[in-house]
Parts: sequence; C-alpha cells; structure tokens
Amino acid sequence: MIDFSTAPELELLRDTAARFASDHLRGNAREHESVRGVTDAAARAWRDTGLKLLEFPGENGGAGLGALARVLVNEELGAADPGATLALDSSATGLYVSAIHPAQRVVVVCDLESRLTVAGGRLSGSLPWVPADEPAVVAVLSREGAAVAGAPKVLEILRGSGLRAAGASAVNLDGVEVLSQWSDRAAAATALARVRLYTASLLLGVMREACEYSRAYAVDRVVFGRPVAHHQGMAFMIADMAMAVEACRLLLHEAAWKLDRGDSDAAAVCARALVEACEQSMFVTPSALQLLGGHGFMQDHPVEKFMREARTLSLMAGGVDAARDDGGAALVDAARVEVARTGGS
Amino acid sequence: MDLELDRQSRDRVTMLAALGRDTLRPLGLEADRLGRPIPADHEFFASLVELGQGRTRWRPGHGSGGRESGQEAGRTGGTLAMICAVEEMSYWDRGVAVAFPGPGMGEAAIMGMGTEDQKQRFLGPFVEPDRPRWGSFAMTEPGAGSDTSAISTSCRRDGDDWILNGAKMFIGNASRADWIMVWATVDRKQGRGGHRAFVVEKGTPGLGNFKIEKKMGLKAYESTSFTLEDCCVPAANLLGGEQYYQSREGTRGALRTFNAMRPMVAAMAVGMGRAAQDEALIFARDNGLLDRTRVRDRFERIDRRLAAARLLAWKAAWLADKQLPNITEASMAKALAPAVALEAASLGMELLGETGARGDHLVEKLFRDAKAMDIVEGTGQVQRVIIARQLVDLPRS
Repeated sequence: MIDFSTAPELELLRDTAARFASDHLRGNAREHESVRGVTDAAARAWRDTGLKLLEFPGENGGAGLGALARVLVNEELGAADPGATLALDSSATGLYVSAIHPAQRVVVVCDLESRLTVAGGRLSGSLPWVPADEPAVVAVLSREGAAVAGAPKVLEILRGSGLRAAGASAVNLDGVEVLSQWSDRAAAATALARVRLYTASLLLGVMREACEYSRAYAVDRVVFGRPVAHHQGMAFMIADMAMAVEACRLLLHEAAWKLDRGDSDAAAVCARALVEACEQSMFVTPSALQLLGGHGFMQDHPVEKFMREARTLSLMAGGVDAARDDGGAALVDAARVEVARTGGS
Repeated sequence: MDLELDRQSRDRVTMLAALGRDTLRPLGLEADRLGRPIPADHEFFASLVELGQGRTRWRPGHGSGGRESGQEAGRTGGTLAMICAVEEMSYWDRGVAVAFPGPGMGEAAIMGMGTEDQKQRFLGPFVEPDRPRWGSFAMTEPGAGSDTSAISTSCRRDGDDWILNGAKMFIGNASRADWIMVWATVDRKQGRGGHRAFVVEKGTPGLGNFKIEKKMGLKAYESTSFTLEDCCVPAANLLGGEQYYQSREGTRGALRTFNAMRPMVAAMAVGMGRAAQDEALIFARDNGLLDRTRVRDRFERIDRRLAAARLLAWKAAWLADKQLPNITEASMAKALAPAVALEAASLGMELLGETGARGDHLVEKLFRDAKAMDIVEGTGQVQRVIIARQLVDLPRS
C-alpha cells in the first residue's frame, strides 16, 4: 500500500539532525570554511547526537539503521553545511566500505576508472583532490571491491572550490599499505549505491536551503515596484526550483526505500537518484544566486557557497557520468531482453 | 514509507493491461487513422459495461453522503487507485480511456456538492447501467480555458427554472452524454463566486449545435462544442441547490474537482510517456541503436524524469486520499509529467527518423497525443502560477 509518511522513529532522527544543524552548523558555516574544519563545540555536540554511527550494526555500538534514515539525516545536514558534515561524519561514510575504523578520518574515493592500483598489499597512484587536509585512512571503492589503506602522503593543502569546511588536499598513495581488502562485485555495487545516496542526499539539502533562502529574499526585495518574486519570470523560476527539489527528494526516498528492501534494481535506482540530484543542483543553486542578483555573488549571503558546494558534491561518488552509465545500462540491458509493454508499477 | 501498490491495484492494472493490449490500443490507432471518435454505439462500449466498467462510485441509501464502493474508491485508496488505473489505460491509449462510458468528471462534483435527490437522479442510472451511458463536464468556453473565473455562460433565475445562455467548447463526450454538467455565472464580475453548476439533461430545449472538433491527436474521444440558447433548466438541476451557493461553498466546488484531477492528468501523461519510451526502446533495440551512448543517456533521462513525475503524482494522490492539502504537489505533478511525456515521444520521433515522418507509427501518434496533456486541467504555466501563489503569494492580478 503506497504510503509517503515517515515512521515516527525516523522523524525523531530527522528532528535531531535538524536541531543539531541549526544550533551548530548553519550559523558557523563561514567560520567552518575559514578554519577548514568544525569547532570543538560542534564536534562535541555531534558526538552527543548519536547520529555518527547511524548505520553501524547494533553489535558495534551503532543504531543499525538503513539508507532511508541516512537520506533524511543528510538532507538536514547538507542544508546547513555539507563540508562540515564531511568533516564530522567521514568515518560513517567509510562505513559503507568497511566498518573497521569508526574513529578515524576516512576519505572514501570511488575509483570507477581504475586510477589507482593495488599490488603486493600496497596502493599506487595519486588524487588531485580529497575532501580532507590530512586523511588518516583512504578507502578506495572500485567496481570489484574495496581496499582500505593508511594515511596517504599529502602533496599539497588546497583551497578547494567547495566543501572547504571539510579541508582539501592533493595526495599521493604510492606505497601506502593496504590494511584490508575485499573483492565482491555485488557488494561493491551496493557500497557504491550507498555512497551515491549519501552524496545525493547532501545535495538535496543544499538545494532545499538554496531554494528557501532565495525564495525568502525574493519575497522581501522590491524591484520595479514589487517583490522580485512577484515578477512572473522570477515566480516561475521559483516554482521550477521547488519542483526540482521535491522531485529529487522523491527519487531519493524511493532509492533508499528500495536499497533498504534489497530490491534487485536498487543500485540502478540509486544511480538515477544521484544523476537527478547532480543535474537539478546545477539548476537550483545558480538560479538561487540569480534571484539575489549582485548580492548573490557576494559572500555576505550563503548562496554563492551553495553553488560551489553543489558543484563540488556532484563531482564526488564516482561522478555523474558513471551514475548515468549505470542507470542507462540497466535500462537498455532490460530492453535488450524484452520491453515489458505493460504498465505495472 | 511504502511505494508498493496493494494487491487490488496490481490486479486491476494487470486486468487493464490485458484490456489495453487487446482493445484500447487497436481502437485508438483505428480512430486516429479514421480521424473520428469511436461511435457511441460501438460494441466496445457495450462490452465494457458488461465487464462492469462505466459505473459510478456512488452507492445509494447509505447515510447523507451516499457511500463509495470500497473497491473503486475506499476512503484510504480512492485517488491513488484511480491514478494507477488511468496511468495504465493511458499507456495503451489515453483517447480511448477518455471515451470510456461513465459519469466522468462531473461525478465527483455531484458526490461532493449534489443533493440526495440529484445523486439519485444523475448518478443512479450509473449504478448498474443498462447500456453505455456518459456524463459530461463543461467548463471551457471559447473565451475561457485555464482561467475558469472568466467563463461567460450566463444563468438567470426564471420562476422554477434557470435560463442559460452561452457556448462551451472542447467538452469531452458531450454529444453522447445523458447529462452535461454546465458551469455558468450569475455575474461575471464575481469571478468564481458567481459560478453555478447545472446538470443539463440531453434533449433540453436550447441545448444544441453540437460540433465535434477536429484535433491534432487523441481522436478516439469526442471533444465537442455546443451552445445554450435560452436553455431552460429546472431549478432542481442546480447542483447542490440554492442554499449551497449562498453558503459560499459554490466557489470551491470546481476547484476541489480540479484538485483531485491534476494528479490524475499527470498520471495519464506518465502512462503516455512510458508508452512512447517503450516503443522508442523497441525501435532502438531492433535497429541497433542501444549501444550508442548518446541514445542511452537520453533514455536514462526520460526514464528518470518519468519516475519523478509518477512519484509526484502518487504523492499528490496520497495526500488527497489523506484529505491533506495537495495544491502544490498536484500542480507540480501536472506541470512536470506532460513535459516529460512530450520529451519521450519527441525522442522516439528522433530515433525513428524518417520512419517517424511517415505518420503511421505509434510513436508519431503519441507525439501528437501527448501535447494536449500540458494544456488540459490548467496549462503548465497555470500550474506554475498556482505553485508560486503557494510559495511566494503571487498576486492574482
């Protein structure tokens, strides 16, 4: 039976995340950007929420919750500050690959084009950007499996385009010891689906915030004798932005729901959700800036940050084209066998 | 959260898929080729009635509001169940689906606004119809489409009757209907506040000049214009009776109907878009186009946007069934789905190339059919106006 309501325990989680985001992230976003990390108070408060170990199994001290919980929480965190979220929550991201380092700063790299190699228990290759200044652990997720390796050599601390609160560096992985490794294409596909959902749900949050901030501005700001939002060209853009956010949210929730059920098409649907989030975020966040005009370009308002965060987030999780490949391949592969030619839902 | 259809809806979809494959699609293609609606006396309609189609959801004699049958529209699954059904029918042929006998769009208004006597008189014959019967719903006029507040068909009280004058246009199934729900105004200056709905029965003097329009697509059902010339309608046919309008509920009657309809039209567009996608996929497969990245990426986009449109329609319908406000969601679904359906059909045409230009391929028909969905029930632009009113309080004038 179709039901779009959220279970009370998930509502509670979402509220907790929203409260934390409001109290510790949103107002500090510029400071977190400049210090390339989060304040100690925010880090302490984050630990107190218990959200960090959201998906860890119960026996490891986690909450054992699923993808839908993650998506709901990440929308709230992403709305406030996705860079700070990565700084706080990077080990939980690592969980998607392996749960062996819950306390360390893990950077997850989706290496879908074999940029990195593993041989003789050592990694080789380099990465032009990772969202951390000094990652303790690099988890490399490929199509075949995953390798968790120790600290890479930091080549350069970078300014970063977006997500500056997470930090940014270029790293070299030559000779870095592989701490653990597994090969399982099906498990790797599921792990990739989770990373995609993680990223897409942060993007959803950024889009929502960009929409709401610019909408409020456009209602207040008067141009040519009436609010910006009451000029039909702007009003239609605001409507389209809201539509994009809602459509993206529904696709994400569907993907998470399918992943939690273990549906056979879940990975393809997660890929689809990421593509939607990436595409729409590049419509919504520049439009938000546009609504503010020159003010949007200035750092007095957060919308320029929304646009940078969205652009950078949508480069992660293996990139949008890989997700497009996966979603498209699932579709045409099915068509090669048979086009069902029936509605069926 | 649950996104799986219940068993009853799945079974219904399966049944409609069989009906669609065997009957709806061939009939739709035939009507398109002949360029005229399926005649009212076509045996297909009689067979539908024998199958139990063409009935009203209303049931007599159960409390003041009447009772909806649990199968058709239970309080928790009504709109959702309906949109799943209309999506499937539209997948096979939306034009034929609209031609189905039944009380049509007027049913919800009668159930919501009508008196007990009116429900009995106008919906009673649809409880167990002896033959194919149609109801029709007439709002649109030559000078008033999406802007329903601008209708100019007039009504004035004359003793025990009302006198209607005006013209209606693009009205589905009007010439074959037992009755037409005609929307008129006592005073144009009052906008929707002046609206009155009348059930005008077939053969009423002054109701005439039926003309079936020639359309670009969706030819299987009739879109008809007609006139009302000093058309004398008994006061008993004023929907809801005088008191209803005096209590200011009148303005909301039509809007409520439209609110329920927008997810429905969105679902129709999703069905048509999926049909276009499937036919295009079959063509691409059979012509070795599936390996082209450019082609695959475009299919991926269509598939994704159709999925989003369907979820939006489902959510709007779910809200309606929960009796929660759905104005924004309904308009979002209605704004998105038709654009995606047209994009799907247009992609299909591109893949077909000159084969599409021949004018005899299903994808070409869907390309013509789909455009209408961005117009009926409020254009895509009107939906954006509605959304903007909700979001930024966009002024009405």
